[in-house]
Amino acid sequence: MNEEKKGILENNAKEYFSSGNDELKKGKYNSAVVLFFKSLIALVDVYILKKTGVAPSSHNNRFRTLQQKFPEIYNLVDKDFPFYQDSYIQSLTKELAEVIQDDAKIMAEKAEIKL
Amino acid sequence: MMQKLWLKKLKLNYSENVLDIIQFGSSVLEESEPNDIDIAVIFYQIPLKQQLEERQDIKNQIKKQVELPIHIESFDFYSFFDKGNFARQGILFNGKSLINEKNFAENFGLIPKLRISYILRNLKKKDKVRFNYLLSGKQGNYGLLKKYGGELLYPGFIETLPENENIFLKEMKKITDKLSIERVFVPK
Repeated sequence: MNEEKKGILENNAKEYFSSGNDELKKGKYNSAVVLFFKSLIALVDVYILKKTGVAPSSHNNRFRTLQQKFPEIYNLVDKDFPFYQDSYIQSLTKELAEVIQDDAKIMAEKAEIKL
Repeated sequence: MMQKLWLKKLKLNYSENVLDIIQFGSSVLEESEPNDIDIAVIFYQIPLKQQLEERQDIKNQIKKQVELPIHIESFDFYSFFDKGNFARQGILFNGKSLINEKNFAENFGLIPKLRISYILRNLKKKDKVRFNYLLSGKQGNYGLLKKYGGELLYPGFIETLPENENIFLKEMKKITDKLSIERVFVPK
């Protein structure tokens, strides 16, 4: 069951990351930010699943687990989350998309996944 | 409840890239019930990645010293004045510096003021008297102007501090709804 979940999360992380790259190339920075953040979150879930045996069931659950058990990753996600939340009402920049892209890469290394 | 962080002398470590750290939003208003505390960090121009890391560090420091959640934003002068920054007016008008305890607008040589005009013409005499007591006090009790700070510029027109907007309007509306407000900046 966990292997199946892990497989889905990994595939999603890769798909979001690849689509994020496509949107970045097209100059669609809001879309790129959302996709890179989704990739980041899928990678975080893989990491949590590997370390605890349980995948988070909601944003709240994910944040709580990170805050309690993996503060360094919590800090990374907490830093980027506001941009994902505000992406529908703000005009996001290329520089920001690249920052979130970079954070997804950092998370991929931690989760030992090749994007 | 209002959270006067700018008067708490929070011990914050920040780099020389930071121009100011500002509290704004509902938490700076008297009589407010904020769900979180809005903070804006204004940077000199540095790479965004570094900006976000430094602001996260500042957020973590503030979080340890307050109970409400912190909602933090960061800007340099280019992004601050960008039309897409919907918070800029609130930061400029209501913002309080956690670094120097002053209004953020004072960095520009300006002091924000709230001006409220009111019409009492059609009120009963007893309500006009009540309104006068509300502003100026009665028998040793402070009125709003003395209690929270403000002055009568001329009949029908008062000036007070931006953070008093809720409390003044709430009390004045109990007597008249013929009120209008202006948010202005006066030279320092």
